[in-house]
Amino acid sequence: MSTATVALQDKETPAATMVEMCSVRLGKMLFGVPITHILEIVGSTRPQPVPLAPAFVGGLIHYRGDVLTTVSLRQLLDLPLLEQPQDLLVLESSGGCFGLLVDSVGEVLTVSAADHEPNPSILDERRRALFDGAYKLKDGLLILLDPEKLDPMRLSAVLA
Amino acid sequence: MDDLTREFLIESQEGLDRMERCLTDLEERPQDAELIAEIFRAVHTIKGTTGFLGFKRLETLAHAGENLLGLLREGKLIAGHEMITGLLQLLDGLRSILKTIETENAEGDDNDAALISRLKELQIPVQAVPPPVQTEAPVKAESPAQAETKKRTHDTAGSRSASTPRAAKAVQSTVSAPASSGASVSAAPAPVLAAPAPALVQPVAPVPSTSPEPKTPAAAQSGASQPRVQATAAESTLRVDVAVLNRMMNLVGELVLTRNQILQATAADPHMTMLSRRLDMVTADLRESVMKARMQPVSNIFGKIPRIVRDLSQSLGRRVRLQVEGQDTELDKSLLEAIKDPLTHAVRNSLDHGIEPPEEREAAGKNPEGILKLRAAQEGSHVIVEVTDDGAGIDVKKVVKKAIERGLITASRLAQLGEREQMQLIFLPGLSTSDVVTNVSGRGVGMDVVRTNVERIGGKVEIDSRFGKGTTLRMRIPLTLAIIPALIVRSLKQSFALPQGALSELVHISASQAATAIEWIENVPLYRLRGKLLPLVFLDRLLLPGVEHKAASERDNFIAVLDADGRRFGLVVDGLADPEEIVVKPLSAVLKDIGLFSGATVLGNADLALILDPGAIAMRSGVALSEEEAVHNTEKENESGVAAASSIEYLLVEADGRKAAVPLHDVLRIEQLPFQRIEYVGCRPVLNFDGCLLPIEDSGGVLSTAQGNSQAQIIVVVCREGKRHVGIAVSHVLDVAAGSDLFDAGTTQQSSGVTLLKDRVTGVVDLSNVAPLPAAEQAQPEWSQMGETVA
Repeated sequence: MSTATVALQDKETPAATMVEMCSVRLGKMLFGVPITHILEIVGSTRPQPVPLAPAFVGGLIHYRGDVLTTVSLRQLLDLPLLEQPQDLLVLESSGGCFGLLVDSVGEVLTVSAADHEPNPSILDERRRALFDGAYKLKDGLLILLDPEKLDPMRLSAVLA
Repeated sequence: MDDLTREFLIESQEGLDRMERCLTDLEERPQDAELIAEIFRAVHTIKGTTGFLGFKRLETLAHAGENLLGLLREGKLIAGHEMITGLLQLLDGLRSILKTIETENAEGDDNDAALISRLKELQIPVQAVPPPVQTEAPVKAESPAQAETKKRTHDTAGSRSASTPRAAKAVQSTVSAPASSGASVSAAPAPVLAAPAPALVQPVAPVPSTSPEPKTPAAAQSGASQPRVQATAAESTLRVDVAVLNRMMNLVGELVLTRNQILQATAADPHMTMLSRRLDMVTADLRESVMKARMQPVSNIFGKIPRIVRDLSQSLGRRVRLQVEGQDTELDKSLLEAIKDPLTHAVRNSLDHGIEPPEEREAAGKNPEGILKLRAAQEGSHVIVEVTDDGAGIDVKKVVKKAIERGLITASRLAQLGEREQMQLIFLPGLSTSDVVTNVSGRGVGMDVVRTNVERIGGKVEIDSRFGKGTTLRMRIPLTLAIIPALIVRSLKQSFALPQGALSELVHISASQAATAIEWIENVPLYRLRGKLLPLVFLDRLLLPGVEHKAASERDNFIAVLDADGRRFGLVVDGLADPEEIVVKPLSAVLKDIGLFSGATVLGNADLALILDPGAIAMRSGVALSEEEAVHNTEKENESGVAAASSIEYLLVEADGRKAAVPLHDVLRIEQLPFQRIEYVGCRPVLNFDGCLLPIEDSGGVLSTAQGNSQAQIIVVVCREGKRHVGIAVSHVLDVAAGSDLFDAGTTQQSSGVTLLKDRVTGVVDLSNVAPLPAAEQAQPEWSQMGETVA
């Protein structure tokens, strides 16, 4: 862990390395997705469920002529599913595009890399595989999500 | 890389592809001057352009090849086996340099000296000593283009004088052929000349003194006329980046989706109907054109095969004759690419495992020369590509034994499979019947690759083999990748798309009938379809196992009777929606792994639907392909083939309560239009249709019935009759039926237009009886009669 902090400090030497994060709500939790990875935000969607699909798949969505597989963050974190439509982030990862279903999308926050800390060691293994540390905000924590780690292909490999 | 170089690369590669095809043909017809001229042109063009672009290494090699080919073209040498091998080496050499240029934008600095000296050796006819002129000639070249031709004639003249006295004639004919490429070489660097060691000289048979002479001028002539033909072809064609075509295809796909949505949204609005129909037609036409633009003949990939066969049969010690059929069958470019590897694999397999060595074949009482047959043909919405050999065949018992040995299948599962299905086990990864792994095949990977590649593009692959007799590998490739007709079915409150290719019929079983109509053997549901038991698969139970589902007797049931390559079963769904032309969108790998869905699509109502894969559903549910069914299927195919050949299809229409039939072949369109659109020329009803006047046949009295009701809509069947079009007014369009069905209904007589009036049963409308415009009304009693009624 100490090496990780050192590495981070190295990066942030030019005093203010600011990152823009799209804040996302899921229940009471606040997550952040780097806006550089977001292609589009689609409000209130109802994805088409896919029978026999892995549990984390939230269904299919029609996005600009393509059919995207969505990942349900609630399913991933074993939270109860909601009845109401969810917001969707269209994310880009090295494996292609996919959707991330969240309760609601909030404003874009500018956070300082100095406020980032890696995952705490007491976090369970599954969440450690999904989260990428957290930013300390004035009024709470912003959990960093890395689109690469949420790619459905990778998830099916990790969670299998 | 600049555009010029890129274009040069593309053109050269095409030229070399042609050259490769010609070379393998040349081996069979060594005297064919056309082929030699074609090969010469390919090399010559490369040489010409390359000097211009400054690729010295390429130029030197091409030049050496050209010298040799020049002799061939003049008929001084004949294309023996050694010669072909040498030329193929030249081809490979040129290709590898082109490849290097493509990747590194430079020629690389490998040495071609060995190859060039080999080509030099081949120039020496059997008894000749290397003439000194030959080595000097290239060095002495003075001026571009012209000198190029002169030089060639010069050096051939030199060598010619050493061998045969007919040199002068041959030389003249060469001179008459202009050096086609204007940008030809100036002083060509002297090819590196390793003095040919006499022991290495491969004797080439001397020119037979009779045959080549008349051919030589022909070669020269074709050499001169061909470029002109190509020039005109070049003007009417255009090189288009495949990426652009792909993009166009995607956009057309989007347009089809939007059209579907518009059609659904406007269905209720009569004002929009005409517009949306028009959109519908234009979209369909556009789609067809774009698809056509992407079509390429299979000869593009078949062309590579002769070379493979040649090389492999040599290294494996086989004697093989290649037969190719259906070269001009066309297939989507991307699909063509996708079957290239499977085809090569199949050919390799046939040569390595199929066709036996000549001695073995003779011992088995076969012709020592094996036959490898490639066939491509279009069957409906599929293209069939077959690789057939008359070799040893596959021993099913061996396949089965291996499969069990490797633990690829359990004995109990195996017992359920018929022989033909057992044969398909050969496609399982890791299964090879070969006891030895050779560098050609035998690793058990090939067949798996064949299947995966073909299935990836929505195709099917199967193998038929008779032990000792031969093997056929059959690939069924869909014509298009992207758009297929499908029936939309409902289950689990969701829509699913069922490709119509597999659908043979639909059966509706209401809740009240379900208890008796669906029979059970323990927990296996069955339905008696015309006296035969049809295994049923409930879609909801398949997709959501472990949940209580409504019993069949508590809901409506629709059985979609599917035939997934000989596996016949009924898929039970809760509801049916309209058939739609769907645009197939690929699924992400995660969802593809489920195995039951071949893609997803967006429906007209903007809903998403998963596309069901009937074959996979059959496999998952354990529906087997029984021997009996297989036989039944082939019978059915034969029958339908016969039926298609002997009968025509008819459009059944109803006019004023009477039925009539119009040959479907003649029907161009069916138009629904307001009655006001009908106008009269004298007393003849006509329709202004797309700017031309269409005489309307109304022996059914539909128009007179509609008369007076200004809101009335009438239906006009627009038909083709000879060179003109005629319309038939009808009240309903009923169905399409085959002619034989009509005979069943007891109407064997060809009837005329009038019979519509007096015939009770279905009569065939005789279109030629519809009077031409302007009509002599008096001459047509039925029309004058009509006129009175209308007036």
